Amino acid sequence: MGWDCQQGDGVVIIAPGGPIDRENAGDFDTRLLAAVKSAGGAGDRLVIDLSGVNYMSSAGLRVLARAAKEAQGLSLDLAVAGLQDTVAEIFAISRFNKLFKVFETTEAARKGQN
Amino acid sequence: MLVRFWGTRGSLPSPLDAEAVRAKVIAALLAADGRRFESGHEVGRYLDDECDFPLRGTYGGETSCVEIESGADEFVICDMGSGLRRFGIDSLRRTAAGQKKIYNFFLSHFHWDHIMGFPFFVPAFDPGATIRIFGGHDEIEYALRRQQEKVSFPVPFDLLSATFEFKTLATGETHRIAGLDVELVRQFHDHDSYGFRFERDGKSLVYSTDSEHKAGVDTGEEMFVGFFHDADVVIFDTMYSLAEAVSMKEDWGHSSNIVAVDLCHRAGVRRLVMFHHEPVNDDEAIRQIHLETIRYEELMRRGSPLEVLCAFDGFELEL
Repeated sequence: MGWDCQQGDGVVIIAPGGPIDRENAGDFDTRLLAAVKSAGGAGDRLVIDLSGVNYMSSAGLRVLARAAKEAQGLSLDLAVAGLQDTVAEIFAISRFNKLFKVFETTEAARKGQN
Repeated sequence: MLVRFWGTRGSLPSPLDAEAVRAKVIAALLAADGRRFESGHEVGRYLDDECDFPLRGTYGGETSCVEIESGADEFVICDMGSGLRRFGIDSLRRTAAGQKKIYNFFLSHFHWDHIMGFPFFVPAFDPGATIRIFGGHDEIEYALRRQQEKVSFPVPFDLLSATFEFKTLATGETHRIAGLDVELVRQFHDHDSYGFRFERDGKSLVYSTDSEHKAGVDTGEEMFVGFFHDADVVIFDTMYSLAEAVSMKEDWGHSSNIVAVDLCHRAGVRRLVMFHHEPVNDDEAIRQIHLETIRYEELMRRGSPLEVLCAFDGFELEL
């Protein structure tokens, strides 16, 4: 799984890459939870840039849900951004678009407005 | 093997009200756009051919009750929700025509919506009927007797005149019942529930309702992939959206259309039947979720297609 991380101005942007499914959900889970704890501990906002993710099964969605719950416990402001069409459709079907703050771009997420 | 759905709702019966019926009639008439029909048959053809299901019908409001016609001369029924009342009446017609008065029930669990039809099951009053009730729990008889205690129902269980047999089935074994090979699996639900796999003549059917598949990785899904493996049909609890199932309604013991498709894909299932519909969803909402699930299956498909069907009261499916 590709993984990029940028930090600045109180915002951490993590960018996983490729499909997220059962095969790499464990890796995604480990990396994402670490990012949530780190950002939560530092008082930063966390944005998950999904522009490099072309496919996400329920395994990936459930990792996101776990991260959201962890973020809530840490009062961490968590958002997703840059969803490709297929992933946006999966978010709508699963109603994850109601579970997460969804921004069109990471820049919009950084500013906190679409 | 034929599967007949007598009740497909979760939690509690949810009949259409007058306003909902009126709205359907208005919509169907408007869609006809002034057309003239010469007969009831023509109207029926218009409804069947040109109107979407929510316009001409309803998914129904009865709670879980599914009949399996196995080919043996005995009845096989999964769960005793409110749909059981109508099954019981229909079975009288069939026993009058010569079918044996032997009823084999498989109970997923004893929550109210899965046993509430039993006090209204007319064959239980027939001294010539034999009613066998199978499940994975130890308290089958207790659960049904308790439901008919004086505080809840005026007719006590002891007044029922059929012959009753109760049997707890072990997981990990194959049981031969009513001509079917039956296996069961314990599921995540308050006080546990059990899913059943039925096989006969090379056909396989899984009934898996009131089963939550937990968020996160390593949550025991391999066991279900094995249980569903290569099944012709899986009847699956799709009560909630995945977002609901992993957030506000986590630990409520139900699952989603998303997990249903992913599990069935992994297991090589041929047909998925969405079941245990959320009672707050009206017909349009259920239809929309069905269409979305078909689309999700297309998006996630990596091998053979999985046909996605949506159960309604009265739905029949041939295996």
